[in-house]
Amino acid sequence: MQDISSQTHTACEECDLLIAVPAVAEGERAECPRCGHTLTQRPRQGFERSLSFALAACVFFAISLAFPFLTLANGGIENVMTLPEASIAIWREQDPVLAVIVFLAIIALPIALIGTIIALVTPLVLNKQAAWLPGVGKLMFGLNDWAMVDVFVIGTIVSLVKIAKLATVILGLSFWAYILFAICLTASLSGLDRLQVWKAIDAATP
Amino acid sequence: MNYPANTAAARGLALCHVCGHLDKVELHECSRCGGGLHLRKTDSLQRTLALLVTAVILYIPANVLPIMNTVQLGKGEPATILGGVVLLINLGSYPIAAVIFIASVMVPVAKLMALFYLVWNGYRKVPASGIQCTKIYRLTELVGKWSMVDVFVVAILVALIHLTGLLVILPGPAAVAFAGVVVSTILAAHAFDTRLIWDRMKEDND
Ligand SMILES: [Zn+2]
Ligand SMILES: [Zn+2]
Repeated sequence: MQDISSQTHTACEECDLLIAVPAVAEGERAECPRCGHTLTQRPRQGFERSLSFALAACVFFAISLAFPFLTLANGGIENVMTLPEASIAIWREQDPVLAVIVFLAIIALPIALIGTIIALVTPLVLNKQAAWLPGVGKLMFGLNDWAMVDVFVIGTIVSLVKIAKLATVILGLSFWAYILFAICLTASLSGLDRLQVWKAIDAATP
Repeated sequence: MNYPANTAAARGLALCHVCGHLDKVELHECSRCGGGLHLRKTDSLQRTLALLVTAVILYIPANVLPIMNTVQLGKGEPATILGGVVLLINLGSYPIAAVIFIASVMVPVAKLMALFYLVWNGYRKVPASGIQCTKIYRLTELVGKWSMVDVFVVAILVALIHLTGLLVILPGPAAVAFAGVVVSTILAAHAFDTRLIWDRMKEDND
């Protein structure tokens, strides 16, 4: 039992069982024999796929900012609502805390998340060295829990049903782009396993 | 504290909080990324409990006060979260009423109860089975952000209806309180350390 070190062994994050570092081939997943926690997984071409989806997400997000999100038609008058207005309207109604929370959850943090994914994965895919990779890695995994893009999509659908009785709502180009953005963001994150990413960061940091 | 012999902690090894690298705890800082090294999350149970109490306190105004206020022809009509669910049922929108009821009422309550149960097991001499507690913990992590749905619904309704002029929807104080509940329960789940429960289990109990 002398040969246990950080090179040969790892521990389960959830139950702390000491485990010999599992050899994981592409497309495989290793789990903790005691509690079933996923220790690590290596999706096929994980980083390449992550990068493509992140770039696509960027494009869809730009579209969702530039076009109408929802349009309300009420007796000949049409009112156009853009995505940022979900937060700006609350700000105008004197509720700055709520406005900031909404802005962070649906716009600022998701775009920061996409930005950090691209900054992180691009050098890894191109086999480039970069000193700032650990910092970006920390930021990306920290942001992960706070982007609520998918929840906002469900919130929009619920609102549509609530308004349907009052007026006709037209779904804008931005609405569809935001849904595609949510799908691409999720797909991009699914290619990034924490242990694999940090192993790659370690190898790519000069 | 004595850690079970099959754990990393028993050998003075800890996983880095940031990158998941296994390292000697006496280094205090991860040799790979500089992140903090602790055998267990510091003051995990106390911090989780404090955040849970905060969430419970915020949960009261979140349910008692109006989440939004519909102003029509100068007359205000405040609506609470539960009132909104009842209204949707009366309108016949059963699936949407179910979404809001599950996301805004059931999930937060279930999540609070689950985390209180886990903290209680962290203090007990003989806790419930580690695998059962770990599964409950994973569920609380999974559902965490979905309770924000109602907050986003308010944001969209405020922005969209505001534009018509006939009818104004104002955000109510419950919306920000409810967002506070979601944020504190997510932080509480982060603060909890499932390994504390495994530490108290007999080793043959795997
Ligand atoms: Zn485990
Ligand atoms: Zn580290």
